[in-house]
Amino acid sequence: MAEITVTINGRQVSAKEGMTILEAALENGIDIPTLCHHQDLTPLGACRICVVEVEGSRTLVGSCHTPITEGMVIHTHSDKVLATRRMIVELLLASHCGSCFMCDKANICELRKIAADLEVGLPRFQMRKNYYPLEDISPYVVRDLTKCIMCRRCARACSEVAGHNVFAIAYRGFDSKVVVDFDQPIDKEVCRDCGVCISFCPTGALGKPREAKEEKRGKPLIITS
Amino acid sequence: MTAEPDVARELAEILSHYSGAKSELIPILQDVQEKLGYLPEEVMQRVAKFLRLTDNTVYGVSTFYAQFSFTPTGRNKVTVCRGTACHVRGGARILAEIERRLGIKEGETTDDLEYTLETTACFGSCALAPVVVINKNVYGRVTTAKLAEILTMAE
Ligand code: FES
Ligand code: FES
Repeated sequence: MAEITVTINGRQVSAKEGMTILEAALENGIDIPTLCHHQDLTPLGACRICVVEVEGSRTLVGSCHTPITEGMVIHTHSDKVLATRRMIVELLLASHCGSCFMCDKANICELRKIAADLEVGLPRFQMRKNYYPLEDISPYVVRDLTKCIMCRRCARACSEVAGHNVFAIAYRGFDSKVVVDFDQPIDKEVCRDCGVCISFCPTGALGKPREAKEEKRGKPLIITS
Repeated sequence: MTAEPDVARELAEILSHYSGAKSELIPILQDVQEKLGYLPEEVMQRVAKFLRLTDNTVYGVSTFYAQFSFTPTGRNKVTVCRGTACHVRGGARILAEIERRLGIKEGETTDDLEYTLETTACFGSCALAPVVVINKNVYGRVTTAKLAEILTMAE
């Protein structure tokens, strides 16, 4: 594949044609936060955390799904980009249930980590939260849709990695959610114990049932800033 | 709704016009909605089989569109505008009066399956506010006094 030269944060780098901006940046040691993106899944561009500024483009573009083109001038951490990312996290958190203290995945939660990295402070927005009943009837997965951020990683992982199609997106707008069958709680009839979706879920929405006395997963989150 | 075999026959008749390509999902659902007035779960399952999709894909698509209903709808569909212009000219009172007359709330259907009551956020005929639409017939400048007449006209 042909080599392409792009400018990232004022530095000329070469990358391969067909790469996304995110891949080109990572290759050159520049970290762009992502949430809905996962290297093993097809890019979707749902969360917009990964936006970057591209000179000549009317809007910010999602780096996880935008391919590079020759001569592109990209800014991954400009003020505008950072402000936008912060706003996106704030909005995600505004509709998030916020029970991180009790959350099993609090220490490995990508949403929390990104919020900490971006130094998102106290919530400024108050909005109606969608509370859903905890689904804990399956011996293999516990699902708490209240913590879901609609990144669709579970749905993609289930079909692309595990080869099933347990999840789909239903309803619209604020009501949209990830459904199983005709919007039934997840049980062992539809989902086996492969655990793929659990490992792809960036938040605490999908988890393993916790054994009695078992500790929280992951190391405590150290907030560095 | 009537007995199960009826639904099966209707569905078979609808599906006979289609080849089984995934892109036919919405047209099929529209036909079912038109014929049966709603999308029963077992019909969605059969449609999913027919198109070789998963049940939840069909469910996801159909719940996205406001035109599909999952409970039986009445023979007459009454839609009251809740847009700004209609609100200013008394739309809320019109809705309340219809609710009182039919004995149902918005989004509901009368027990005899005669009426379904819905609201919308502007028909684009604000000059006629307040607007009520019954089965594709538009009634403008509606007053609570005129409602009795309008509703019986629909029958
Ligand atoms: S990570 Fe790119 S849009 Fe979500
Ligand atoms: S507000 Fe009722 S038709 Fe526009």
